[in-house]
Amino acid sequence: MRPALLRSNDAMIAGVCAGLAAHLGITVNVARIAMVGLAFAGGAGIFLYGWLWVLVPTQEEQLRRAPTPVGPRLTFPTSQGAAGGATSSFVGSSTSPMVSPTADPSAGSRGSTQSLIGKREVLLGTALLLVAAVAIAQQLGANLPLDTLLPVGVVVTGAVLAWTQLDETRRAGLMNRAGASQAGGLARLVAGLLLVTVGVLIMVSGSISWELTWSTLIATGAVLAGVFLVLAPWGLKFWRDLETERSGRARETERAEIAAHLHDSVLQTLALIQNRAGSEQDVVRLARAQERELRNWLYADATQQSGNLAERIRALAAEIEDSYGTPIDVVVVGDAELSARQEILAQAAREAVLNAAKHAGGNISVYLEAGPTGSTIFVRDRGSGFDPETIPEDRMGIRVSLYSRMDRHGGEVSIRSNSEGTEVKLVMPEKEADGAQ
Amino acid sequence: MNDPQQPITVVVVDDHAIFRSGLRADLDSRITVLAEAAGVAEAIAAIHEHRPQVVLLDVHLPGGSGGGGAEVIAGCTALLAGTRFLALSVSDAAEDVVTVIRAGARGYVTKTISGPEISDAVLRVASGDAVFSPRLAGFVLDAFGTAAVASVDSELDRLSARELEVMRLIARGYSYKEVAKELFISIKTVETHVSAVLRKLQLSSRHELTRWAAERRLL
Repeated sequence: MRPALLRSNDAMIAGVCAGLAAHLGITVNVARIAMVGLAFAGGAGIFLYGWLWVLVPTQEEQLRRAPTPVGPRLTFPTSQGAAGGATSSFVGSSTSPMVSPTADPSAGSRGSTQSLIGKREVLLGTALLLVAAVAIAQQLGANLPLDTLLPVGVVVTGAVLAWTQLDETRRAGLMNRAGASQAGGLARLVAGLLLVTVGVLIMVSGSISWELTWSTLIATGAVLAGVFLVLAPWGLKFWRDLETERSGRARETERAEIAAHLHDSVLQTLALIQNRAGSEQDVVRLARAQERELRNWLYADATQQSGNLAERIRALAAEIEDSYGTPIDVVVVGDAELSARQEILAQAAREAVLNAAKHAGGNISVYLEAGPTGSTIFVRDRGSGFDPETIPEDRMGIRVSLYSRMDRHGGEVSIRSNSEGTEVKLVMPEKEADGAQ
Repeated sequence: MNDPQQPITVVVVDDHAIFRSGLRADLDSRITVLAEAAGVAEAIAAIHEHRPQVVLLDVHLPGGSGGGGAEVIAGCTALLAGTRFLALSVSDAAEDVVTVIRAGARGYVTKTISGPEISDAVLRVASGDAVFSPRLAGFVLDAFGTAAVASVDSELDRLSARELEVMRLIARGYSYKEVAKELFISIKTVETHVSAVLRKLQLSSRHELTRWAAERRLL
């Protein structure tokens, strides 16, 4: 199927030629040359280009318009409330491969303006070359109708200025209004308007006298003011409706996202809990796992890096909690990088927690104190206890995983056990004193 | 301080009716529930009306200006001498806890706490002591540092060696009784240490605490 006619991101000016090329199945350069060629045929190319620019939507606009299915596990929108947040999350959540630059709105506009090196400079150079060509032609005696060319040029420049502004607002500016680009955009719009007005004035004043021009100007101004007065409330109302609709849609997207998440996680768990209402252990396990997952989703600390010791201990505690159904409370003080040595500690801690979950049951407390010089982990259970001196030789878990493993890497293990419970203390210094290993 | 014959009076503040009734059933005979409240304004009114000894206060509450439990405490500052607040929360996220503690709560427990434990916690708070969960003790250690530093200017900004030991044991999941046994001190002494830590947590201008609070826009 032929791709729809959309303006491309790979843009020289506004992406018309690239879009046209994709639509017609020709190469971009052919489209561009044809457009330039048409431009010399009485300016047809310029008009065609302008017409397509105004009427053909960009890829982003097309996507925004299309209904977006909400996936089951979307990331939470980082900017909330603002209309921009909605559009960006809308676009970002689409699965189309065409929207690579839209994840970050600013990156989108940067990508499109900087994808070609010095696009602006090329355009400016072309314009200056044209002016120079005209000046040289004039010098050589060619009788160019400068009186009409100049105002037309001014008008076109103004229009292009204003249009690029509008275009970029539509493309990316909507998503990031608070940025400094707004002032620049406004300046461009005003400059464009001014240029167009001046151009039209020059054109008109060429054919009629100045006196008449002034009175016409005043009359025109009065009419415009009147029209504005009448239409302003309508315009304002229209604008407000648009804003309301936009923020409504933002809320709706957010809601849909949260609903999707809750459906996938919480509702499923609740259904499971109803099924397993008979087994207290299953219910507790499901509830704890769901709580952990939901908490993670709600309060996930973006600043916390993964791959650290604290994260590792939390993850292994969660895993054991899931498989044995015993509540494990993890308290972490400080954090350390997960070096090879601390990985040994984590594995030993896993063995200790696993032992507690298997043999003691009940609440298990895990306390990790980590720092740059080393880490200490306490694993405490409230089981009936055992005598570490009388561990049978075949109890591989404690012998191999705890004592010998920790010993080999310069760590220490001490176990205290009585009738009220057992506490395993694991110490792993970060730097070994005698330099072994 | 408490007359053993006279039950402790309590007002339960939580926006979930199921949780309130469950909590009521969990509290033993040493405690009478005077009233329940479901929102910030309702809670402040009920506390002023009934003057309970202890308020069991949910951290997340609807109503008011959105401040939740901390806002209720702020609305009852005149009563703080006679009424003590015990914060309850589903979330053991430090940001929730420290806000209410800094607002003036005497303790903090998670909602998964068992019936006898919550009753003990209420009695402990009523007698003027503080109640720390392992998570809160862990946060204290995180904020004040685990090394006993002597060079900090203000007494408020550091933990004594003994307080450090007590906090560490609580973070390891020890009950007050077990802490006392471990350190060969009386439970009363443990309570004194914990109360001292609570005071420091509430009043300290230690920059970890303020920075931490500022990062989460609590101040």
